[in-house]
Amino acid sequence: MSVAVPAGFLPSYHRIPSLGYRILAGAARLVLLLIALVGVPAASLAYLDSLGISLPVPIPTVVAAGVAIAVLSTVRAIARPTRAYGPLSVATSAVTIAYLLVLRLASPYRLAAPSHSLAISVGYATFLDLVLLVPALALVSGIVTTVEDARSPGERLPYDYPA
Amino acid sequence: MVSFAALPPRRPPRLYRTARAFARLSAVVLVLLLVFLGTVAYSASELVRQSPQTGGFSAGLAANGTMAVTGAVSVSNPGFYPVGGFSMSLRISNGSGAYLGTVTTASVDLVPGGVTTVPVALYLPITSGGPAESLLVSDQYLVVGVWGNATYAYLFPISVHAEENRSWGAPFSNLRVGVGTPTLVNGSVSVPVTVSFTNHASFAEVGTLSLVVRDAGGATCGSASFPLDVVPGAYYYSTQPVLLSSGCSVSGGTAVVTFSGPAGTIVLPPQAIP
Repeated sequence: MSVAVPAGFLPSYHRIPSLGYRILAGAARLVLLLIALVGVPAASLAYLDSLGISLPVPIPTVVAAGVAIAVLSTVRAIARPTRAYGPLSVATSAVTIAYLLVLRLASPYRLAAPSHSLAISVGYATFLDLVLLVPALALVSGIVTTVEDARSPGERLPYDYPA
Repeated sequence: MVSFAALPPRRPPRLYRTARAFARLSAVVLVLLLVFLGTVAYSASELVRQSPQTGGFSAGLAANGTMAVTGAVSVSNPGFYPVGGFSMSLRISNGSGAYLGTVTTASVDLVPGGVTTVPVALYLPITSGGPAESLLVSDQYLVVGVWGNATYAYLFPISVHAEENRSWGAPFSNLRVGVGTPTLVNGSVSVPVTVSFTNHASFAEVGTLSLVVRDAGGATCGSASFPLDVVPGAYYYSTQPVLLSSGCSVSGGTAVVTFSGPAGTIVLPPQAIP
């Protein structure tokens, strides 16, 4: 049995949050991301620097990469209902991969305390190789989403935003 | 009129499912890595708190003309992850940078929640003319370099290098051989020979100090023997008469001093006679 509805009252099978709501949620997300990707790492590095300990990566690099990833990730979340979502996912993943590769170049990290004749070297390249899996998988997901949006625009909306 | 037959299929399209699967897998990997990193950080902080115990180190004269520094390093690993391939190298040089000796421990795995003891035995050759010979008669500062290598939690290779100066107390510190005025005894020439030193080592010297007096050309003029029982920190001073061979003059010669103890015989650096 099928139920008829009048024309002009097309049934909607998804409920996309308003742009204002998405921007508000994105702002909250941006704050958290900035704290995690910029605030905490930069503060930790600044503390090491104040002790005269050599840094594995310059603070401006951490700040620039952290801001770029946080902003891209936020814009991507806001643009989720649009066709820009896939390309923005790819861009976010690509920037993250580039950042991780820069960090990988700094491995092993040689920590030398200036006031002590003690030097510690810690290698983390293998760990970062595993971490690289995260943006790599997200990159593939973004590419597939881009292809899906190009072939069938709006196809994913009922599943991303079920009514 | 539109019918509800246009409802989207319950099962999402293939591309959507693929994208979602990759996104979820990425999230799962991220969570697993964050949990791993958190536990590694916690375990590492616990490991750092348990600094290695290096008690029980002792030095002593050993056989084959060596000075032995022996002991053990105990490392406790209270964390969740193993410390694989832990090995340690010890290198000792004197204040002027001359290499004296080195030792490398066997590679061991420190299991989580366990305590591993690594024996260390360093033998410094103190043979006559060698760079470590001065350890017998000269107090000095030694530069002790320690290298440690290991792989923590399967993924993190770590190497540690520390260097520090340690004071060394010589067992025959400031060894002096003095020769007195020759006298004629029963037709032979005798000289009083005085041996003095301070035992700055951490071990007692029990044995015999044999002394051979040679002239400027290296020919043996006479000899004497000094019984020793010198506790750490004690000053030793003893004089013995030495009967000289006919026509032998000790002026400008040398005194060769040999210590014989339970561990063997060690030749001390030759002492010039004024």
